[in-house]
Amino acid sequence: MKKSLRIEDFSRGGGAQLTEVVIDELTPLPPPYDKVEERPGWRSLTEEQQGRVACNLDGVVAVGLPKPQNKEQEERTIRQFTLGLRKLLSRENNWTFLQPLTLSLDYCAQCQTCIDACPIYLGSGKNDLYRPTYRSEILRRLVDKYVKPGGKLRARLGKGDVDLNWTTITRLYELSYRCTLCRRCAQACPMGVDNALITRELRKLFSQELGWGPRELHEKGTVLQLEVGSPTGMKPHVAKDNVEFIDQDFSEVTGLEVSTPWDRRGADVLLMHSAGDILSWPENAAAFAILCNAAGISWTLCSEAPGYDGVNYGLFYDDIQLARIAIRHAQIAKKLGAKKIVLGECGHQHKAFLAVADRFLTGDLSIPRESVMAFLENLVFSGKIKFDPSKNDFPVTLHDPCNMVRNLGIVEPQRRILRHLCPQFREMTPHGVDNYCCGGGGGLALMSQYNFTDWKVNVAGRMKFKQILEAFGDQPGPEVKKYVCAPCLNCKIQFRDMFTYYGARERSGLFFGGLAELIVNAMVDLEEPFITWEEYY
Amino acid sequence: MSGFAWHIFAFAALGVSSLVVAYRTWVLIRLPIHLRWELAPIPHEKGKGRYGGSYLEDYEWWTKPRARSRISPIVYMGKEILLLRGVWQHNQSLWPLAFSLHMGMYLIAGMLLLLLVSAILSLAPSPPYVLHSSLRIASVLALGGYLLGGVGSIGLVLKRALDSNLRPFNTISRYANLLFLGVVCVSGFYAWIDGGDSVPAMSRLVQGLITIDPNVTIAPPLAVHFVISLLFVLYLPLTDMIHFIAKFFTFHQVRWDDEPQNERMERELRVLLAQPVTWSAPHVGADDDRDWTGVAGARMSDEEEP
Repeated sequence: MKKSLRIEDFSRGGGAQLTEVVIDELTPLPPPYDKVEERPGWRSLTEEQQGRVACNLDGVVAVGLPKPQNKEQEERTIRQFTLGLRKLLSRENNWTFLQPLTLSLDYCAQCQTCIDACPIYLGSGKNDLYRPTYRSEILRRLVDKYVKPGGKLRARLGKGDVDLNWTTITRLYELSYRCTLCRRCAQACPMGVDNALITRELRKLFSQELGWGPRELHEKGTVLQLEVGSPTGMKPHVAKDNVEFIDQDFSEVTGLEVSTPWDRRGADVLLMHSAGDILSWPENAAAFAILCNAAGISWTLCSEAPGYDGVNYGLFYDDIQLARIAIRHAQIAKKLGAKKIVLGECGHQHKAFLAVADRFLTGDLSIPRESVMAFLENLVFSGKIKFDPSKNDFPVTLHDPCNMVRNLGIVEPQRRILRHLCPQFREMTPHGVDNYCCGGGGGLALMSQYNFTDWKVNVAGRMKFKQILEAFGDQPGPEVKKYVCAPCLNCKIQFRDMFTYYGARERSGLFFGGLAELIVNAMVDLEEPFITWEEYY
Repeated sequence: MSGFAWHIFAFAALGVSSLVVAYRTWVLIRLPIHLRWELAPIPHEKGKGRYGGSYLEDYEWWTKPRARSRISPIVYMGKEILLLRGVWQHNQSLWPLAFSLHMGMYLIAGMLLLLLVSAILSLAPSPPYVLHSSLRIASVLALGGYLLGGVGSIGLVLKRALDSNLRPFNTISRYANLLFLGVVCVSGFYAWIDGGDSVPAMSRLVQGLITIDPNVTIAPPLAVHFVISLLFVLYLPLTDMIHFIAKFFTFHQVRWDDEPQNERMERELRVLLAQPVTWSAPHVGADDDRDWTGVAGARMSDEEEP
């Protein structure tokens, strides 16, 4: 075990673990989370797991790749990986990101300016393995050595060497899921080099060439969404039934008539929720129904698969799956004759559909698409609904989903709403486009096999948890209930795991939820509080 | 060297280097349009770039004219290039040496430009004070450039060797780049000291080169500096030290490219989407007959044919 890692170490050691996460070396948290003896345990891998799957990186397993059965399988994988490297650099197979990838591979000055921007590197207590530059440099050296002409000679002459073998490939696969793709490192890079993009390209190589992808993102993610309509497994009639139940339930709770229109042709707004919200945070779906109806908006949900689930996990690992889902979403909206699509409270859905997939949507598939933040801001300040901010007179802070804020520049609409409706709103430090990722970005929030959740809540989400606690530092105790506004499904999943792990609700009075819920909570027409402080787990 | 040897060496080095730089730039220009991958802050977003906002904050943004600032990206890049703002903000321990190296290069480039202008001015009747002033400024730039460049490059070699953050990522070629640059600066500094100000001699050399004068003579220290510098000019485009070119693309064509799809893009995209896909994973479903459109537009499994 060693903490100081060299690039060359990565391909050595076979099945042995390369490094470890030392819990005592992690960035300290504020009280009452600073006592070592009170920390929840960290699950170790069982002997059975260690015998079955590759666990030669950091003692954590996210992807669970089965160990090779024989030497032939190893060699076949190495050949295929090399082929994938070539495709990654080919115009035909990877026009989608060839220019950004080429620039990031060829022009990194190795100044390490980006490393202190990475919340995972910081949270881990600066473990070398989690430097944004570490995995990028390995891929860079592999490309130089095994793809470019004269590479092996150049590697020997001092350009930098690393060997390609089964160990390198399995460790790289696992390491590509130790990054949340938050792109804080890219923002810090003076050259514009993007290590998060390199990580995503690496995931793409594994997925599109070797057929390797985390089960939660692939089989139970994009494949399931394309087969039945949603990674939740909900088929169209189930989604409709669930929303109908939510409408009934919240009609009783609020005394308002909560109703959700489905498949209304020619509606002004086709609202695309993340179906995970319908299942796990139904108050979010209900809040939208209340707001849209109260403002008299012509709106609809769509029951044609996958129109009722706006998520697109392809963004995290696979261009083909990304394109397939985005094209289906656009086709559905076109068929329904919707004037615009409003993207629900989900960061990666925003990034995928507003920007990344924009250049897949040629011709009449280019349907106007709008962020829910702009939509809600217009709704709040339209004067169609009366609000009483004193109803929200409790401490509120805002989490900025990376894909919505840093990656798209949607920064202020949600803040203008919170400043208007929440008297005790306060910012975290840093915030806006400089925010820390929740720790579940890049698809990590969805992945929970083996002991990966322990890593996510202890390492990946550590800087976020720390800054949330600091934002409420003036009222740290559980007697004051505090609301972390997280307008993103994946961030909420990560907060659920993290707050549960640390007992943050009981120890600090921390709750989390979406933006629409806060808006509804401030409505004058609502007799009872919409936010009950009980429903958010 | 005598006769035209200096001329041949100098113009060949400059010519080959320019060709390689042009080729590498052309390679970057020729890369196809990519999917959007912008990153805030985008300074051309007028009124919003300051805090990292974009046009996507606007209600029904597609109905509104885009307000773009032409000045803000120039100011942003000016601070980035001249002051290394990113390094200052995120890596202050590296900034003094990195700034020293880069400022040294800028001063040397300024000196060379002035020498060229002086040489051209001296060919035609021009007021002597103009020539004199430009050479005096060039002298200051040369001294400052060699000193700062030398301190920066040699200092960075030492920092790379001693700093535990940088050391694991060092390669021989990275040391070689910095050392080579250091030798250029040190040899220039020595020539400047040896001649009590080498700039007038350099000016005569430049004039001799551009007038193809076969009687060009150079004192040994300056000749050594000249040879080393020309070798560096040949070496430079083979390295990632030409990141000053790449930086244009990483910022303007990746980080700041938030342009929604338009007709010109669509024409290019249609060509790209008609390319074959040969990724091997089973879920991709690539075969000889399917292009990107065919693969990405694959129907859902339960959908019926129209």
